[in-house]
Amino acid sequence: MTAAVESQEPTAVPTQRPAARRARRPRRLGLGRILTLPGQMVSVIVLVVPLSVAFYMSFTDWSPTRGSLLDAAFVGLENYWELLVYDTRFIEAVIRTLALTVVCLSLEFTLGLGLAVLFLRKFRGKSLLFSVLLTPMMVLPVVVGYTFWMLFQSNGPINQIIAFLFGADATPEWFREAPFAMTAVIVTEVWHWTPLFFLILLSGLNAVPDNLTRAAVILGAKPRQVFWRVIFPVLKPVIMVALVIRSMEVIKLFDEVFMLTRGGPGTATETISLYIYKLAFADFQLAYGAAAAFLVLVGTLFLVSLLLTPVSEQLIKSRR
Amino acid sequence: MPARPLGVPLALVLATALVLTLFPIFWIVMTAIKPPTDWNAVPAIWVPAEPTLVNFKTLFDAEAIREYGVGGVSQSATAAVGGSILASVVATALSVLIGLLAAIGLSRYGNAGRATPLVILSARMFPPAAIAVPFVIIFSAINLIDTYVGLIAIYVAITLPFSTWMLKSFVDDVPREIEEAEMIDGRSRLMAHLTVTIPLIRGGLFSTTLFIFILNWSEFLFALVLSYSSINTIPVQLAKYVTAMAGTLYGVQAALAVVAMVPLVVFGFLIQKHLARGMTFGAIKR
Repeated sequence: MTAAVESQEPTAVPTQRPAARRARRPRRLGLGRILTLPGQMVSVIVLVVPLSVAFYMSFTDWSPTRGSLLDAAFVGLENYWELLVYDTRFIEAVIRTLALTVVCLSLEFTLGLGLAVLFLRKFRGKSLLFSVLLTPMMVLPVVVGYTFWMLFQSNGPINQIIAFLFGADATPEWFREAPFAMTAVIVTEVWHWTPLFFLILLSGLNAVPDNLTRAAVILGAKPRQVFWRVIFPVLKPVIMVALVIRSMEVIKLFDEVFMLTRGGPGTATETISLYIYKLAFADFQLAYGAAAAFLVLVGTLFLVSLLLTPVSEQLIKSRR
Repeated sequence: MPARPLGVPLALVLATALVLTLFPIFWIVMTAIKPPTDWNAVPAIWVPAEPTLVNFKTLFDAEAIREYGVGGVSQSATAAVGGSILASVVATALSVLIGLLAAIGLSRYGNAGRATPLVILSARMFPPAAIAVPFVIIFSAINLIDTYVGLIAIYVAITLPFSTWMLKSFVDDVPREIEEAEMIDGRSRLMAHLTVTIPLIRGGLFSTTLFIFILNWSEFLFALVLSYSSINTIPVQLAKYVTAMAGTLYGVQAALAVVAMVPLVVFGFLIQKHLARGMTFGAIKR
């Protein structure tokens, strides 16, 4: 076919006029570069430049009340030293955010997988129920935070149900005590994002070839063996993608907590994002906040790069 | 897997999931149609006896909201809704346009290298609070703070990874041979992209546009730190109500929450098939 010859890849027919091929390649590269250029420019201007400024700033003692950033005194690693050694609030926020990530992701994954497995069965109204169960992930984070703030009020519906089931003495003040406030944050986050796990895991399960599981069953495999030996290996890359993408989001968690608790009571539910926000925009310690932001950035990069390799392989594979 | 019918216990599990999913949405909608006397009643009222749309009227009526007005929320939500529409529509259009070019570039001229997915993904890892600080400083210096231009620039940048990778996964689905057949008729490569590939992925283009709109419409942190008085968005307005009124404006806030939520839920249903693709940067296609 002539069309195939036109698209000559270097590996295809090695004997065919190498000179002509070499002449065409730079032009193809040129158009590719031009097409990706606007995107690259936006990324550089809007991400790289601010990050470079922030990086410089994190080595100074600048604050907006002291005039220009260029005149600010250079303090070297002082901000970083302070954060890592003395700032217990920062360390606590980091640990809290990591713990929150582990708890939320475990719950979301378990619930999402359970629901997805149920959806392998046949029942009426399945496609409607599927759509309805996805609704939470389409709601704005701010609205989710506000809604659960209302639900968890001391005279709100959740306490009404608790009072009905266990008596009026059992109702907690959700936002006054640390464990309860943390529970409220977790419940909110799990309600919001379990549907994403459900969606991704269901599409993964549906991709498991029917005849593979059927063959395993005929060969006498027990359901548990079918799951771990046949389904799980196919599902694994999908699970990795879901976990990586969600963990990136939970580490950044801000909107819902801002609406729900503002990090309170005290700093009991303060996430890293919330702490950096307060440093920069409530206390105006911009240089110090920038240093905190960079520590978070380096930490996240490290964590995610551990998990990212399988995902990027998946991305490259899906290119076909 | 061989599909088996659902037994009664499992049907109950699904029913529970359905109730838990819908209850918060039910509550916010019910609060939005409660008359002021029902807003904070003890015990809480689940379904108002006399549902009303008065909260929605108050929301967009500068006079009415001023009667509740304490500490800086004497503003109606009209400006916030307008601001959200302006910023989201423009930013979405730009993000999808730039993303489409990049998607074709990456898909058809795959010399971007294996590292590119990593670079683009890592752009999503920056906590917004971390990039917000330098943005405020730079934008103050070049007078872009508190302007829609500044907000839109940021929105384009933060949604670009999503639009690029989602669109790229659609372009990947179009066989190269179709473009090449077109080129035999004497068209340039660029024309082949424009006249063959783009019409073939218009469904994907539509889904991507709505998906990016959802992201922009939901954004909160950047809007919060970059808006002082001349720009406003719905999430910021909602947060302002909660702060200033200590939550006593229940019904009106809920009405704004419903206004914010409805378009996204509709859009979400429309692009349901492609949500997984959008959320995972095209790594999962169904």
